[in-house]
Amino acid sequence: MAEYRTHMKIIGDILYTTRDDLLDEEGATVTYLIRKANISHSRISRILKTLVSQGLLEQVESDGTNKYKISNSGREFLQAYKTFSSFADNFGLTI
Amino acid sequence: MEFLLENILNLVGFLVGLAIGIMSLVGFRNTGSPTLFRLTIAFLSISTGFFVVWAGYTVEDFIVKSGSLERWIQTVGIVIQTVGYFFIAFSHSIKSFFPKSRYFRSIGIMPLFLVSSVQIEHIFRSVSFILLAYGAIETILSYFENKNKGAISVATGLSLLALGEFLGWYSFVFPESLLYPISMAVRIGGLIALFIPVSKVPLTRIKFDKDIE
Repeated sequence: MAEYRTHMKIIGDILYTTRDDLLDEEGATVTYLIRKANISHSRISRILKTLVSQGLLEQVESDGTNKYKISNSGREFLQAYKTFSSFADNFGLTI
Repeated sequence: MEFLLENILNLVGFLVGLAIGIMSLVGFRNTGSPTLFRLTIAFLSISTGFFVVWAGYTVEDFIVKSGSLERWIQTVGIVIQTVGYFFIAFSHSIKSFFPKSRYFRSIGIMPLFLVSSVQIEHIFRSVSFILLAYGAIETILSYFENKNKGAISVATGLSLLALGEFLGWYSFVFPESLLYPISMAVRIGGLIALFIPVSKVPLTRIKFDKDIE
């Protein structure tokens, strides 16, 4: 059975991919993120737009395609996400 | 002895609830997680409930000395704590257990207008017991999935709080027995168990939200 992921968990997965799992230094393409985060194009487009507007991701145009890199705020968010995930885990909950 | 235990319980409850509530609030402000928001409401309610009972008893015993306020203060404090326990259980999707019929919802409130403060207190104690037992079971089930050792401590804490509520409710049958002091000691143990894993969360590495600092 597929594991249910919260919206927050999907955001965490996207940010982890852009921090730890990049194929090239310029950032990750939407296609790569779709494959890694395992969600639809329309959904990831909305999430990426929000993450860029919140300053957690940086959008870079390279060779005619948009690529995404994690920003410093994104790194700080990931640190908080990791800490509070373990905090919520203690209560048997997922953030 | 009972007065001392009651004061210790209420102060420990206030401090533990406040600490976990603030931690959840910091988490909510940093991540925007709805789960952490529900935990914030839960633990700040629990903290407020214990504080109301402690402050009320202190005012009653040292200032007002009327002897009639204690039961109502206890009831108000327990109701506020029950709200907190509800939000812990709600975080485990307890909402599916609510009756959908409007009729059941409307008569569900009626008993509150028909009973005295003593009966209200015992109704809320039994509701708290159910919510805490549910939270403890869900937490231990999550341990079997994630093997997170902190969940065992939280489940133990919630179980002890549930047992304490049950003994506190049952002491109504034997008012002069040791049941009530034992229920308070058990609840103090539960609050400490609840705080142990939370105290290990490395908050110092987090850059706090500027509004909170």
